[in-house]
Amino acid sequence: MSHDHDHDHGDGLHKPAAMVEEVSDFEALEIAVRELAIEKGLFTAEDHRRFTEFAEHIGPTPAARMVAKAWLDPEYKKLCFSDSIKASLAVGVDWLNPTGFGTPSDYTDLRVLEDTPTMHHVVVCTLCSCYPRPILGFQPEWYRTPNYRRRLVRWPRQVLAEFGLSLPPDVEIRVEDSNQKCRFIVMPVRPAGTEGWTEDQLTEIVTRDCLIGVALPKPGVTSNIKLPVHKAVKPPHHH
Amino acid sequence: MTTNPSEKTAGQTTWTPVPLLEDIKEHGRVWDDLATQYGVTNPDPPWKTSLDGMCDALGTGNCSPAMALEKKWLDGSIGRGAVEGAVALPLLERRWEEDELSETLYQDVPFPERQLLALTHSLIKRGLVSEQDLAKRIKEVHERLNAA
Repeated sequence: MSHDHDHDHGDGLHKPAAMVEEVSDFEALEIAVRELAIEKGLFTAEDHRRFTEFAEHIGPTPAARMVAKAWLDPEYKKLCFSDSIKASLAVGVDWLNPTGFGTPSDYTDLRVLEDTPTMHHVVVCTLCSCYPRPILGFQPEWYRTPNYRRRLVRWPRQVLAEFGLSLPPDVEIRVEDSNQKCRFIVMPVRPAGTEGWTEDQLTEIVTRDCLIGVALPKPGVTSNIKLPVHKAVKPPHHH
Repeated sequence: MTTNPSEKTAGQTTWTPVPLLEDIKEHGRVWDDLATQYGVTNPDPPWKTSLDGMCDALGTGNCSPAMALEKKWLDGSIGRGAVEGAVALPLLERRWEEDELSETLYQDVPFPERQLLALTHSLIKRGLVSEQDLAKRIKEVHERLNAA
């Protein structure tokens, strides 16, 4: 694996980024496990390369752009609800072939959940950590934890408040549980103060957290919350 | 070195530490420390996407045919053997073991180092990778990467 670095283009404008100048035990472990797994035939080097390339190019921007486009274009907004697969194509994501090499690792139905002033959606996967990766990238750590997965369905209002999202009592909260067939993203209500904004400007404030439903878009806020990860009170025994 | 599987008692799983992984847990430098020391701003270590690729390649990902088989096993419509024959490390089992290991043996290790340790633990537990082979290969990898 390459270390973190950038290329100096020789124009004096791009300074090389800092690099980590040592091989950690964890880096060596990842390489060793991978090499042994390939040698033992658990997967092929080619499959691993393709999945890794898929992992390297996914992120939350396509989903953010989908929401921004929908805010600006009522017809596109209708398409997001009637045919989210087609709507995804407009932001560069092909849900029918998400990895681009014929392995439908994430092929499921994408559903876009529309918030209203009196209805708020939030997404979870109570079983494991299913997530709309082709359009939203990888899950944040907290989304994977039993703590979030168990408590959100029982105390959604309180858990959202832990993220800093305190909703008025008259706003209904609907929790959607990702499953084998469906993945979800939330389309929040376009916030006040964004009148006249471009698609790019709007895309910037539709953060990953907004798309999961643990935050609301707000002018000036373009980053996600850093949440401390807590253990579940009861051990996560599944068997 | 022993590679004992987990022991189930009264419906609860007790995870047996793997000495090699315990050593890495105790002495390995995590990305947060390295990134701070070297002034790197990347939030994730460079091997994170390769780890993600490995998890996908092992289970062929969420909602794959393999996962559909697992769901059928969970609802009792097929036997366990049908799942085990489909993939080396079924996705749901990997994720659930990661949940358990993340809150027991590896609870003090940050993510994604914790995910890597949990995945390796699951592979060793099943005999898919041996602790001895892994120790030898890690040594070789270190020598190779530090040879330049």
